[in-house]
Amino acid sequence: MTSTKVRRTILGGISAVAVVALTAPSSAQSLDYWVYSDFGQGEAGALQEEFIAEFISEHPDVTIQMSGRGDDDLTAGQIAGAASGTLPDVFMNGLAMGSTLVDVGALANLYDKWMAMPEEYRAQFDPAAVERCMASETELYCLPYTGYGTLLFRNLDVLEASGVDTSTPPATWAEWLEQMQAVSDAGYFAIPDQTLIFNSVAEMYGMVGDNSTWGIDWDTRTTRIDPDVMAQVLEMFVDLSEINSGTSRNDQSTRDLFISGQLAFHTIGPWANPTYEQAAEAGNLNYDFVLMPGIEEGKHGGIQNYEFIGVAPGENEDIAWEFAAYVAGENQMARWASLLSRYNSNAAAMADPEVASLPLIERSVESVKYAMDVQPPYFVEAVPNCHNAIVVDYSAATADGEFSPREGAEEMIAELNDCLAD
Amino acid sequence: MRRHLPHYLMIAPFLILFGAFFLYPILSGLVYSFFEWNAVSLGDFVGFANYFEIWDSRDFGRAASNLLVYISLTVPLGITTAFLLALLVDSFTGRWANFFRSAYFLPVALPAFLAATIWRWIYAPNLGLLNMVLGWFGIPSVNFLNDTSTMIYALIAVDIWVSAGFNMVIILAGLKNIPKELYEAARLDGASKLQQTLFVTIPMLGPVLFFVLTYGVISAMQVFDTPWLLTGSSFISYGGRRNALLFPVMDMMGRAFGSVSFGQAAAYGFMLTIVIVLITLVMFAIRSRLSRQ
Repeated sequence: MTSTKVRRTILGGISAVAVVALTAPSSAQSLDYWVYSDFGQGEAGALQEEFIAEFISEHPDVTIQMSGRGDDDLTAGQIAGAASGTLPDVFMNGLAMGSTLVDVGALANLYDKWMAMPEEYRAQFDPAAVERCMASETELYCLPYTGYGTLLFRNLDVLEASGVDTSTPPATWAEWLEQMQAVSDAGYFAIPDQTLIFNSVAEMYGMVGDNSTWGIDWDTRTTRIDPDVMAQVLEMFVDLSEINSGTSRNDQSTRDLFISGQLAFHTIGPWANPTYEQAAEAGNLNYDFVLMPGIEEGKHGGIQNYEFIGVAPGENEDIAWEFAAYVAGENQMARWASLLSRYNSNAAAMADPEVASLPLIERSVESVKYAMDVQPPYFVEAVPNCHNAIVVDYSAATADGEFSPREGAEEMIAELNDCLAD
Repeated sequence: MRRHLPHYLMIAPFLILFGAFFLYPILSGLVYSFFEWNAVSLGDFVGFANYFEIWDSRDFGRAASNLLVYISLTVPLGITTAFLLALLVDSFTGRWANFFRSAYFLPVALPAFLAATIWRWIYAPNLGLLNMVLGWFGIPSVNFLNDTSTMIYALIAVDIWVSAGFNMVIILAGLKNIPKELYEAARLDGASKLQQTLFVTIPMLGPVLFFVLTYGVISAMQVFDTPWLLTGSSFISYGGRRNALLFPVMDMMGRAFGSVSFGQAAAYGFMLTIVIVLITLVMFAIRSRLSRQ
């Protein structure tokens, strides 16, 4: 074959492929589906793949590529995707990032689609959770998905070795502090350092305050934090300063201290449970999980926070919505909750007898009843980057003795208002 | 013009790539820094407001002072460590030289995430390797990554561990190029090992050490991944306890992706670029003056 013939054959082949590609019906739709990395691997990932397979069996012209990503990767990818026009079609993120994603146009307003769903579908969801996805009466930017209410994990061996009666959980802050001091006197750490992470400061605030004095008033661009409540919370941090482990609630070393019998209490979400359960099964840990106490009997601390599923605006929006609605539906969320013992916003799924009887779900449902929202209101404006740092810094500075609790609370609020006003 | 056309065409690929990937990002960053910009739609022209906002912010002073301490310690300590390692490896021959060169270079090849995870475990209070060793000597557990008095030193140790191998390889290449006759002459003149190092090795390594120093300062100015990972930072909360490990690039990333203030982030990036260019120019000027002397 001469080189001219070879060239003609190749060009002919390429042209044929191009003609076929251009004239083929373009009905196939390909969706990119971004999930949290732990939702995309192991048994959680397998269940997500099952949801995808079920959806595709009903929509044979659709293909779905799932991709698991860490928190920051999700956010950066969604913002960069909005800037470059390459957004994933369906994706997850946390409520705290909601307004940021609306700002950059990454989230489609799903209100009309939501309202077009049958009443029995809409009734499956916790109305308060749906409300968190709404920027106004006609703007709904997400479907609420998984969530959590803070749990207080107790290392029963450490408590018993410290002479603490573990038969009933502490009912008030005073009781809890007394137990923590006994633990410290016995040579153990009582609790992680609650001033290191914004969410753990919020958990402690929830022991004294509630949603009415927490979050941001966007109309006046001021913080809603009550100085009296915050002063009480900062006083708690001072009380805990000598008896905490110096690690944050999210550190791996905190879990290691808990499992190795050096830490008595750990306030965190239910995702810590699989690790603790595994250690307990191996005979290395004797623990339980209860509600965080409040400042007085009948009140409880902690926060509730949610992940959501959002849909990108664009040509795949309709089918992407159908898929998101399918994944967040009762049947899927009940299976998800059964497999992972993770609380979610589908109230009908949570009420499923098989799901409701799971101890972690039962306790989470109870915790959410009392827990404060982590950063309300959502979907209004992006929280400035100085906000969380100020709360955490003044909490730590007061625990370190740089301010009295009253001064710390007042300085914190003044600086928060400056930050929000800019 | 026609006579030179082939020459222009030959340098065109370089100029196009230089323009697209070097000049354009810098200049577009400069333009964006004067606007409210959320990465998608360009908002109002705000003049120097983004720059003033950064300058007046509570985090800027903290990030700048942390950076100053970090550079003033990590660069000299890092270069000294790399230089000593290079001398050590240079003293070996054959397979031992290869082994140590590879061993010291290994941290450079480790992904930052893995390196940070290893060090988080080493630094962990009570259960960490370092605290276990300290415990053998009766020293109480130190909370390296959350005690504001130790955090920056903990970071510097990790950075030196990561960067020493890279600098060592460069210095080692410089050492191999020093003529052996110079050492022979020094020995004949009765110079000790220390004197040979001070008066032969270091002066002969001048250009190499200058490169390592310049590269070290520029890298240190942009420190990001190690403190970000050591403090478990995210776009909405970063810098560790009381911002003890907050650095300019972290603050820039937080402004960009945490609160979608890409205009401010661009201003931050441009300010950092200017400072890096100025420092580099000053270093080159000093170097050129010293060489003339």
